[in-house]
Amino acid sequence: MKSSLLRGVLAAAAVVAVVATSATSALAANERFVFVSHAPDSDSWWNVIKNALKNAEHDEGVKVEYRNPPTGDIADMARIIQQATASNPNGIVTTIADFDVLQSAIQGAVAKGIPVITVNSGTAEQSKKLGALMHIGQPEYDAGKGAGERAKAAGVTHFLCINHYITNAASVERCQGYADGLGVKLGDQMLDSGLDPTEVYNKVKAFLAAHPDTNGILALGPNAADPLIKYLRDTGSASKFKSIISFDLDGDISKAIKEGIMSAAIDQQPYLQGYLPIVFLTQYVRYGVIPSNNVNTGPGFVTKDNIALVEKLAGEYR
Amino acid sequence: MVEQSNSGRMETPIVDVIDERLSRQSRLRRMLSRPDLGAFAGAVLVFVFFAFAAGDTGMFAADGVMNWLTVTAQLMIIGTGAALLMIGGEFDLSVGSMIGFAGMVIAIPTIYFHVPVGVSVILAFVMAMAIGALNGYIIVRTRLPSFIVTLASLYMLRGLTIALSIVFTNRTIVSGLKQYSDNSFVAALFSAKLFPGFFRWLAENGIINKLPNGAPAVSGLPMLLVWAVVIAVIGHVVLTKTRVGNWIFASGGDANAARNVGVPVSAIKISLFMVTAFCATVFAACQVFEFGSAASDRGLLKEFEAIIAAVIGGCLLTGGYGSVVGACLGALIFGVVQMGILFTGAPSDWFQVFLGAMLLIAVLFNSSIRRRVTGER
Amino acid sequence: MSKASQTAVAEKDRPEGWGRPLIEVHDLVKHFGPVVALAGVSLTVKAGEVHCLLGDNGAGKSTLIKTLSGVYKPTGGDFVVDGKPVAFSSPRDALDAGIATVFQDLAMIPLLSITRNFFMGREPVKRLGPLSFMDMDFANKVAREEMRRIGIDVRDPEQAVGTLSGGERQCVAIARAVYFGAKVLILDEPTSALGVAQTSMVLKFIRQVRAKGLGVIFITHNVRHAYAVGDKFTVLNRGRTLGTYTKTDISLDELQTKMAGDKELQDLSEELGGTV
Repeated sequence: MKSSLLRGVLAAAAVVAVVATSATSALAANERFVFVSHAPDSDSWWNVIKNALKNAEHDEGVKVEYRNPPTGDIADMARIIQQATASNPNGIVTTIADFDVLQSAIQGAVAKGIPVITVNSGTAEQSKKLGALMHIGQPEYDAGKGAGERAKAAGVTHFLCINHYITNAASVERCQGYADGLGVKLGDQMLDSGLDPTEVYNKVKAFLAAHPDTNGILALGPNAADPLIKYLRDTGSASKFKSIISFDLDGDISKAIKEGIMSAAIDQQPYLQGYLPIVFLTQYVRYGVIPSNNVNTGPGFVTKDNIALVEKLAGEYR
Repeated sequence: MVEQSNSGRMETPIVDVIDERLSRQSRLRRMLSRPDLGAFAGAVLVFVFFAFAAGDTGMFAADGVMNWLTVTAQLMIIGTGAALLMIGGEFDLSVGSMIGFAGMVIAIPTIYFHVPVGVSVILAFVMAMAIGALNGYIIVRTRLPSFIVTLASLYMLRGLTIALSIVFTNRTIVSGLKQYSDNSFVAALFSAKLFPGFFRWLAENGIINKLPNGAPAVSGLPMLLVWAVVIAVIGHVVLTKTRVGNWIFASGGDANAARNVGVPVSAIKISLFMVTAFCATVFAACQVFEFGSAASDRGLLKEFEAIIAAVIGGCLLTGGYGSVVGACLGALIFGVVQMGILFTGAPSDWFQVFLGAMLLIAVLFNSSIRRRVTGER
Repeated sequence: MSKASQTAVAEKDRPEGWGRPLIEVHDLVKHFGPVVALAGVSLTVKAGEVHCLLGDNGAGKSTLIKTLSGVYKPTGGDFVVDGKPVAFSSPRDALDAGIATVFQDLAMIPLLSITRNFFMGREPVKRLGPLSFMDMDFANKVAREEMRRIGIDVRDPEQAVGTLSGGERQCVAIARAVYFGAKVLILDEPTSALGVAQTSMVLKFIRQVRAKGLGVIFITHNVRHAYAVGDKFTVLNRGRTLGTYTKTDISLDELQTKMAGDKELQDLSEELGGTV
């Protein structure tokens, strides 16, 4: 019994060793960068970024490791940044999911002389404070506000904000921006929907039943929007709402826009948030050159008018 | 006081064996049936593996070591609590939610009601341990499985944490604790870095690596590590060297048999739930003061990590058997693997595969040990 | 009566207090709501006596011993220990009064060491300043000695009880009760799960315990086991005492018949061709 178990342990270790070393050797290119996101394993939106990283890896001839806290716990993310720092990469790309929590970890990387670019969540000011080279992303509050202004123009008075990631400060900013754009005080319109599609579906259903005067909806991402679209199709109630806007894009959302079920999607062009930092870091490490400004990849609004272009690539590169 | 009743001592002369089958254990076999043996072997294996797979990646430089030691220490704190409780025959699935809850109880009163940090911390300990006691009381009184009762607490506490943080602050991440905790002794108790001079000396003498600005890569010994070691040592001593420890084993091994000889099983179990709550609060306090913020999703799934550490460390899921040393080794394995796999550059997706396989092997190993201990029956 | 003489203890070897009544119960009644579990049981157990409690399932044996050992409170009747009326509120009270119960399968915790089992609930402690620790050296020494007295040679008292045989476990449980000063031992079916050799080991040990002047209440289904060590036999039926007999008054066959409630067993025995 004992010896067979021991053999089992060794075999398992051997398998992992092979996987680990083959992964290392296959990609043993020149520069090595670590990309740290805050997204839990289950967040599919980050596939676009992962694809962008693969392209950048290939185009630039570098190695990129994608890292994320499996449960989305930002404290775990700080540990991952510390780990990345200890492994002495040529550069680190990270989101600023929570400034306070990540502050010392990111500053630790900067202090060790590792070039850092921040992307996605966070603001340009925060990025600067941390000592990062630049920030590549979409100002969350402004994007939400832009959506709110569009909704106001469409005549929205009562809204629902479906928040699938309530523990992310940036998500709350989006809702807040929307409410401000609309000129409505943010109260119980923010729905903590969770990530499970069935749960989102039923919570939306319950909320709309309890608040029949709702005439505008903001979904904070595909995880919130996809079940919403299913609900709108199932009930045929899309025309009841004056504006239905989602953050980000995927196949379902672009189809819904094309069919007129949804009004618009706020596109922050995540592909660029994955591709650009790797390109910039590579140039910076190789030749010491880097753009001197931050890059706003969004907000861009995808509507019925420009959807055709986007649709083909949704979920993969858009 | 030595309880020593000689009045009933047998005066029968010492006779030789009645049963011809001697009940003896060889030294080797006794060693093989130590609960922490599997974890010890596993830890050695893991270190050997990473020495080859990630030896030159900075994993064993000072900041790399501190990285996986920190993760290990965090898990040691809740793993010790989980191991003691598991040996006492119960589970606590609410540990992870308790971490989030306790963190909020520290942060919200301090930031929004300007309560002194020390008071908030005491409040967090009191509330968490009261909830732990309630968990234990319900389980002892109703005899429901602790799995179900603490699963209910897992949801209620997580929900309560989100709901209360929204009510009081309108957000789920409560930041800005640093300005209140900067000069606080209580905050330092959980987040200070000890012996900075010693670490500077180490860096100057080239024993640990330096940052480009000359500062040491590791600025000090975090209090988190101190807490982990203190909690583990106390847990180990109580379990193996005191009568309370014997009662913990007895309560988990067979609660009825223990009751029959006068062991206060209910009190032991309720206290153990308070201990896991205490450990969760220490975890939360260290995290909150290190990062200066509390978030309602902190500690997500940590209850399982604690249980995994305890099981890898040789605790039986059925109770009555296990060790704190094993749980700490389990935490070490977990921490080294979790961070080490990142150092190897392998996609981190593989971590969970590795973890699952490791858990399975640990459980198989444990069940074979149990058979060994109880005489291959 | 060769058997009686074999189990008798010679006058000169008898410890002080031999024959003194230790437990006396009269008309003990226990109701569980509308269910009458004990409808008037009377019993006297004396020092230096093995008192066997016989009866079929449901006769009230286990309710009686749980009442005597302080798990249940009696609904009515007299319960006198050492000449003083008692009302136990917990097993701990009964233990303090010198009544120790060894339950058949709940006696020992298999995963724990012999030492830890032996001292469970009564751990010896040594003080170190304000701290108190379990005195493992002392506990191991005592456990090893006591095991040798029973005739179980354990080199390592820290080995798990699970490595002992069923009979050995029962003996350890009995030795534990004796060591901690029990005056009356209640043994609940100590032999029911054991083989022949193991049973004889336990029965021999019961005899040793009696020779020290303890009172033993021995609950069993097995009339042969009872007859081998018993001095008195009380038969229970439907919550009542059917009668108490001394060994000289009754033969093994008569006892067997009484236990089964006289007639029914004989009928059954005929039906089955005399094999019961």
